Amino acid sequence: MDDLPIHLTLFLILSGVIVLIGTFYSEPDDAKALRAFPKKLVTFFVGCGILAAVILLMEVTVASVK
Amino acid sequence: MSSFSDLKPRAQSRGVPSVATLLTWFMPGAGHFYLGRAGFGILAFVIVQGLYLLGLSLSDGMGFQFLQEELRGTFSPGLAPEAGNLGALIYHVQTYGFGGIDPQPFPAHVVLGSTLTAISGILNVCLMCHAHYEARVSKDAVSGKLTPALPVFLSWLVPGLGHFFMGRRLRGILIFMALVGCLVLGTVLADSSNLSRERHYYYWGGQLMAGLPAMLLQVAWGAKQVVTRIPYAEAGLVFGSVAGLLNILMMIDVYREFLMQNGGEPTEPDPMEDAASKVIGAARILS
Repeated sequence: MDDLPIHLTLFLILSGVIVLIGTFYSEPDDAKALRAFPKKLVTFFVGCGILAAVILLMEVTVASVK
Repeated sequence: MSSFSDLKPRAQSRGVPSVATLLTWFMPGAGHFYLGRAGFGILAFVIVQGLYLLGLSLSDGMGFQFLQEELRGTFSPGLAPEAGNLGALIYHVQTYGFGGIDPQPFPAHVVLGSTLTAISGILNVCLMCHAHYEARVSKDAVSGKLTPALPVFLSWLVPGLGHFFMGRRLRGILIFMALVGCLVLGTVLADSSNLSRERHYYYWGGQLMAGLPAMLLQVAWGAKQVVTRIPYAEAGLVFGSVAGLLNILMMIDVYREFLMQNGGEPTEPDPMEDAASKVIGAARILS
């Protein structure tokens, strides 16, 4: 767990790139795309957070190897 | 329901766009021949196919031998960038395959050779884009007019350059910073180990979609030996290949940008697309 901050930082950076490019792809207007970027980024984080929680839950329940 | 008679070119168009595109996929330049542009077709054939053959010659056709044994299969070469030039890819697989039973040493220029075959595939995709657009432009349109193939190619060559070329400077700069920054960060994290096609065959294919920056990084640090454990090597691989794959989205985006700036879709619809949409519509009704 020592490198958790590094992993989180890398996740934040890559998320930013993915969401920025995704926003440009879905919105032709630059101003609208940049305005929509923070909301889309938060949505992406929340989605990934839910996914991570589900995976962790599975890991300790039905997919546990203990 | 549509029939094959629908696949005849409309009166004003040069040909059926999907036919021109598929012909180009199988044989660079064939689609342009079909559209009546023999000179351009020959030039495209010489450049794209010449690049592939040069790559084959330099690598002795051993490019697919980079694939680990467990990844080798009938369709595994189809996931490489060479798939953009299908005819050459089939020739490559049929003639050289994955090599014989006894392993042979790689020739000195195998990396350059396999990079050239990959670039040939990407160039042919741009050529397909060119053929498809030209087929949809009416015959009386000015020959030699700019088509979306150039901005798409520029977008591949340097992420954001296609947008910059189309006058979308802010978007171009942001795309460049995001994607090239991501690629460079990935290379730093992986200590350049991500730049070897021999080591990471498919990830390398993703990275190549970031164009010239990926190739320059490979020329500068691609041959670096791995002598110690690299803690973030896998993260670096993901960063590098995600940057390249996201650039494909931006290549599509610049195509859309071109259409927006040039009055939308060309006037002539694609009969094959019409037929496909009719089939999909009928399937929906039946379901």
